[in-house]
Amino acid sequence: MARKRGRGMAASWYGIARTATVDRAGAWVEIDDGGTAKVITGVTEIGEGILTVLAQIAAQEVGIRPEDVTIGDNDTARSPEAAHAGATRQTYMIGNVVALAARDARAKLDAVLAKEWNVDVGTIKAAGGEIWAEGTNHRIEMSEAVHLSKSRGVVPLGSGSFGTDTTGLAADDGAGRPWQAYVFGGQVAEVEVDTVTGEVQVLGIWAAHDVGRAVNPRGVEGQIEGGIVQAVGQALMEDYKTEKGQTTTPGFAKYILPTSLDVPKITSVIVEDPDPIGPLGVKGIGEPAMVPTIPAIMNAIYDAIGVRIMSLPATPEKVLSALREKRNRDEERARIVAE
Amino acid sequence: MPDLKIEATVNGRKVSKNVAPFARLLDFVRDDLNLTGTKEGCGAGECGTCSVFVDGVLVKSCLVPAAKAKGAKIETVEGLARSGELSVLQKAFHKTGASQCGYCIPGMVMAATAAIRSNPLVSDDEIKERLGGNICRCTGYSKIFEAVELARDVMNGARPATALQEEEVDEGQFIGANVRRLDAPSKVSGALRYAGDTVMPGMLHVAVLRSPHPHARIVSIDTSAAEALPGVEAVVTSADVPGVDGFGVFVHDQPVMAKGKVRYVGEAVAAVAAEDELTAKRAAALIKVVFEALPAIFDPDEAMKAGAPIVHDYAPDNVTKHIPIRKGDVEKALAECDLVIENTYETQQVEHAYLEPEAGLAWVDHDGVVTVLSPSQNITNHRHMLSRIIAKPINKVRFIMSPVGGGFGGKEDMIYQGMLALLAMKTGKPVRLVFTREESIATTAKRHPARIHYRSGFMRDGRLKAIALRMVSDGGAYGLSTEGVMRKAAILGAGPYDIQNLQVDTIGVYTNNTPSGAFRSFGALQTQFATETQMDIAAEKLGLDPFEIRRINMMRNGAITHTKQKLGSVSIGRVLDQLEKAAQWEKGAPAQRGDSRGDLGTDGARRACALDARFVEAPTKTMKSEVA
Repeated sequence: MARKRGRGMAASWYGIARTATVDRAGAWVEIDDGGTAKVITGVTEIGEGILTVLAQIAAQEVGIRPEDVTIGDNDTARSPEAAHAGATRQTYMIGNVVALAARDARAKLDAVLAKEWNVDVGTIKAAGGEIWAEGTNHRIEMSEAVHLSKSRGVVPLGSGSFGTDTTGLAADDGAGRPWQAYVFGGQVAEVEVDTVTGEVQVLGIWAAHDVGRAVNPRGVEGQIEGGIVQAVGQALMEDYKTEKGQTTTPGFAKYILPTSLDVPKITSVIVEDPDPIGPLGVKGIGEPAMVPTIPAIMNAIYDAIGVRIMSLPATPEKVLSALREKRNRDEERARIVAE
Repeated sequence: MPDLKIEATVNGRKVSKNVAPFARLLDFVRDDLNLTGTKEGCGAGECGTCSVFVDGVLVKSCLVPAAKAKGAKIETVEGLARSGELSVLQKAFHKTGASQCGYCIPGMVMAATAAIRSNPLVSDDEIKERLGGNICRCTGYSKIFEAVELARDVMNGARPATALQEEEVDEGQFIGANVRRLDAPSKVSGALRYAGDTVMPGMLHVAVLRSPHPHARIVSIDTSAAEALPGVEAVVTSADVPGVDGFGVFVHDQPVMAKGKVRYVGEAVAAVAAEDELTAKRAAALIKVVFEALPAIFDPDEAMKAGAPIVHDYAPDNVTKHIPIRKGDVEKALAECDLVIENTYETQQVEHAYLEPEAGLAWVDHDGVVTVLSPSQNITNHRHMLSRIIAKPINKVRFIMSPVGGGFGGKEDMIYQGMLALLAMKTGKPVRLVFTREESIATTAKRHPARIHYRSGFMRDGRLKAIALRMVSDGGAYGLSTEGVMRKAAILGAGPYDIQNLQVDTIGVYTNNTPSGAFRSFGALQTQFATETQMDIAAEKLGLDPFEIRRINMMRNGAITHTKQKLGSVSIGRVLDQLEKAAQWEKGAPAQRGDSRGDLGTDGARRACALDARFVEAPTKTMKSEVA
């Protein structure tokens, strides 16, 4: 049999937001005319879906719909600091702070309505573009509520700041509190190895990841799938090379990337262990998604053909060379046994 | 050479333009017709972001001379939704979440449109093959396949048009719902403008002169011939920096342009702003730099040896950062273990390969504010650094983050924004720089390669008693995120396990190679690859199932981490349980049992690609017999 199959697995963990330093983010939310909302925070899309996530959060917290939310540009002269787009911190840091700012804006609006309707402020609820006082007949459109608030001289405007309780590491033993939220993950890989050509195909990946709370499950899947395919690239083909400092992989003809034909089937399992500290329970998924993929694939290769690839990537050349060494070892052993 | 006159029909409208004789169809569409939905990702026909139809045939417009458009019918992504309503395929991309950064998406939509046009009953396998010339770095392709299959089915009536609509949401409960991406319509239609698509009136174009040497002293730079070239407005070098010249994420060791010496091939030495791109490039070639080659160092272990060439004077041992983590007594514990596994692992340098090459604009506002618009992942930090570099107060520096066409950490470094600010200040005009793919690959940060020496010690019952891990990593010529990557590699390296004896050292080292920097999973990927392989080896040697050995050792609620932090809830047990169930894992020690496994070839795995006839039906039978 030239083509051998096998499975392997790996576990992983990751910290959410900036490492071994205090992370922070700020946001403003204004419940605006027409029952819409403006969310201003220093963030824009790098592809992960953060704008949609923020619109979902703002919509639910304000009591409107995601399409009613306008998110301002990420501009150091026009928006509060949300720090950087990285470190698996967008949903955690910006998502939480937008929730806080939205709640602050709602508190201003609710106070006006509570006075107007002569009800306890805690009875006021809003969802999907309507706002009402529970146990009463008071129920109006959000657009009307904004109009009413402004006619009483109150612009329903909120702000928020979210910071982490974290520390640096001790210089001698590394002791410290680098993150306040951790996520855990695990993946199983199924591979097929062609023992004639050395080529490895990843046929399936099962990926289970704790994300705290999934704001947009389809978006979480997208992050898991994208991370896994980047890891498949590093596992099997990608290799930036230099020769005396000069790259020998200067373009996509030499630097090989996974294409649609290299993609395994991916089954995502979203686990929710809510973060007890932030207001939403969310954590993150961007970076953790790709941590267990490579060892799961390498362990699957071992299961299939009995060789351990410890130097990445597992190119056909490396797989064939490892198989040759294994064959020599096995023959040597058989010879010794025979003697 | 005189300009070419091109008359063509583009998206149903007649156009007539004079273009440069060397222009590509891509330039004609983007620059002359301002149809910037068609993107340039590589300029070499490798990535597919520039896909358009010419007389109904899908082509990569970066490979087609503009002259070929004469009299032809051209269709770009903007032509697909001319009525204002997205096409079924574009709606399907919206529904399934098939766009992330969106930069590859116009090309992907064009290739998928071609697939369905050529075969309305296109099979799932044929879809994959038809998209094989289009690279996507974000999505992992899965949601794109789902979108094309959905569009095919809706167009054939196999699924109702309502399948394209948004899922219903319970009474305002948007958190937890699959709300469609709000940015998707702008991405599938090509409407979204990235930095490189942005044009300002009177804008100048920038070209950069880069170092051909890995390590050399700069004896002199003569810019006079470049400045004398008609159309050139300014040339800048490090001599133009008015403030403190240095940037970086943790240590500000990198000048805006090489100062005194170059430390890697591709490092910026000078930059030119001119009225068009060609003039800027010609001028850059006219800058005369006299270099005196210095001994260079390319291996991190060699770089730490006494007498090795020194990359930065402040770090005579070439060590950028060493992070130690200590717990218990590792040597004593290893001596007491029943099984000690010792191995060396190596991981390679990896390119981010976002489809959007670096690009940016800079201008000076009417109120004197120096403004930079770019796909920067860290405008807060960049504003701080630029204010020091150009010696202006923070509120006279403004950074705008444009939509990022893929980042993955690679756009956290301020490697070109400083040059743009200097040129905008010197010329008083807006300036724009767009990297070529080759520039992007050769000059921007990579994932840190790693060499990891690993010892782990186990008891016969599977208990992991000690780990000694030493990682040496090539950080290349500048610090960038090396310190942070070493830190994360160290903290997380020993994995989600409860271990009493630990000795971890991660060491980032300067060399004259392309710098390494931030990359999704930031060091933790390298160390955990080694840890998880060690665990598998231990499971085999101890005759344990790989899930089981992890359960024996995993952190539990209230665990103390490697950095002595007390955790609250720890979800790894739940994660492993759900993973094992979802994968229908067959228990057993990892002992090359692939041949005899009973859990292979389930619905969760695709069919293997083979070199037989394509698009032949009934592959399922073959697969099952292969597996059996």
